[in-house]
Amino acid sequence: MGTDQEKARTVIGDFLQRIDKGADGWTDETELWGEGIGLDSLEAAELSAMLEDEFGSDPFSAGADLPEKVGDVLAFYSPVST
Amino acid sequence: MILLLEAAASSSPDREAVVTSEGTSTYGELLEDARRVATALRRQGITRFAVVERDAGWVLRLLAGAALSGAEPCQYQPDTDATEFADHASMLDHKFVVSRREDLTGAFEVIRPETLVTVDADSTLRSDEDAEQPLMIRTTGTTGLPKAARHDWRILGKTVAGVRPMPEQRWLLAYGPQQFAGVQVLLHVAASQATLVAPFPRQPRDGLDALLTKGVTCVSATPTFWRFLLAEARSRRVTLPPLEQITLGGEASPGDLLEEIQTTFPGAKVSQVYASTEFGSITSVRDGKPGLAVDSLWSEDHPTSNVRVSDGELWVRAGAGMLGYAEESSTAAGESADAHGTGDVEGEWRRTGDLVEIVDDRVMFRGRKSEVINVGGVKVHPLPVEDRITGLGTVALARVFGRPSKLTGAIVAAEIVPVDGVERADVEAIRAQIKEAVADLPRAWQPRSVTFVDAIETKGGKTIRGMEH
Repeated sequence: MGTDQEKARTVIGDFLQRIDKGADGWTDETELWGEGIGLDSLEAAELSAMLEDEFGSDPFSAGADLPEKVGDVLAFYSPVST
Repeated sequence: MILLLEAAASSSPDREAVVTSEGTSTYGELLEDARRVATALRRQGITRFAVVERDAGWVLRLLAGAALSGAEPCQYQPDTDATEFADHASMLDHKFVVSRREDLTGAFEVIRPETLVTVDADSTLRSDEDAEQPLMIRTTGTTGLPKAARHDWRILGKTVAGVRPMPEQRWLLAYGPQQFAGVQVLLHVAASQATLVAPFPRQPRDGLDALLTKGVTCVSATPTFWRFLLAEARSRRVTLPPLEQITLGGEASPGDLLEEIQTTFPGAKVSQVYASTEFGSITSVRDGKPGLAVDSLWSEDHPTSNVRVSDGELWVRAGAGMLGYAEESSTAAGESADAHGTGDVEGEWRRTGDLVEIVDDRVMFRGRKSEVINVGGVKVHPLPVEDRITGLGTVALARVFGRPSKLTGAIVAAEIVPVDGVERADVEAIRAQIKEAVADLPRAWQPRSVTFVDAIETKGGKTIRGMEH
């Protein structure tokens, strides 16, 4: 059983494959927008829906600021310290 | 209804009128019980009542008895939630409820239908063509809260005035008898002195069973019902019997479904009916093609047509329409269409809320106004997207709807029932096929959320589209 971050990484990989932007070649530092992956609003909404389906919540819908990098998405699913 | 029943009972009292899961009744038995119901209603001073009853045999007795006594019946979905029912019965001021359910409680008296047929029929009760024969029909509520429309059997009966006796026909009741389309089937069967085959539950799999075992020859159902029934038949690998008449209504009929029906039942006459609880039965199409023929629209050369297109929306003028909504006077019926959001009224013409597009010589349905999905300011009609997906050989059923998104307001979402079932289907291959099938549509129209499910939820036999909340 993987951690939520590992699952989120798999979801991102599946998503990039579905939108034909390659499942490989990205790291935690890859930008989601512009020169990075270059997501547009519809693609970001698709990723948001996929993450919500997997986890019940997602970083695109949860807060005021949108994630900027892949790592920001993964961080949303980091274990909570108690 | 009572007049049609009297005619059928007079002609052939011993003919099977209705076959249900609880038994079979002849026209003579139905009429006799209807007279008893009318007598009991009169004696108890009941002038309007709710009906919560699953058996179509009982429903026919109650509706016909009410028509004879002049009382106004109003059916509810038989499995309606008891609390919800109490609320709606209160809103419509129903003080009497005829039902065999034990869980209905509220500010009303529950009367069991059996008690209404224990009295001796009053021999002085006569049907009167000039007397009011009220009937209240609640809308399905597919796109909101159900509304209650007031009708009169004398007006509804005009739609079957030209129907000739066809006693050999056996009609499947695929709609609930509480729906407008269900009432139309009851009327048509009584007018043609045929037999109603009415299983309960009324799911497509029950309809398929009836086709296979009850000698059904004619079926009136929604396109969604047909998709489910055909998928069930494929899954069971059964050979479907020939049918004589197939009537589709309640939703737009996609071209691929019409083709499949025509291929499966090559000897059947296929009609598409355009009707609604409020406007009544407006028009029908028998050419086997999706949509309406452009030359069937109202024009100076075709002034008798009840259908026209304006601003991409279908407008109609009612044939056998409602008198008004509940609590409204008959004279307010015209304004009520406006007041309840079905749209503007222009003289005798009313908006329907059905969005259409003229493509060559056809008026193609694009969905309900209330189903439009706003994706980042782009208006998306779910029906054409759904048609692309259901046209794929690997997809048994599909539902396209709006899914809220913080980023774009909404995205187009699709639920897919694969032909092979979710467990065995190659879902990634189907995803790729869907992507290809919608590739030429604008990007906002392309489904961004595709989920694979075992079944699709329906309401009143119709697919629920529009926005999910």
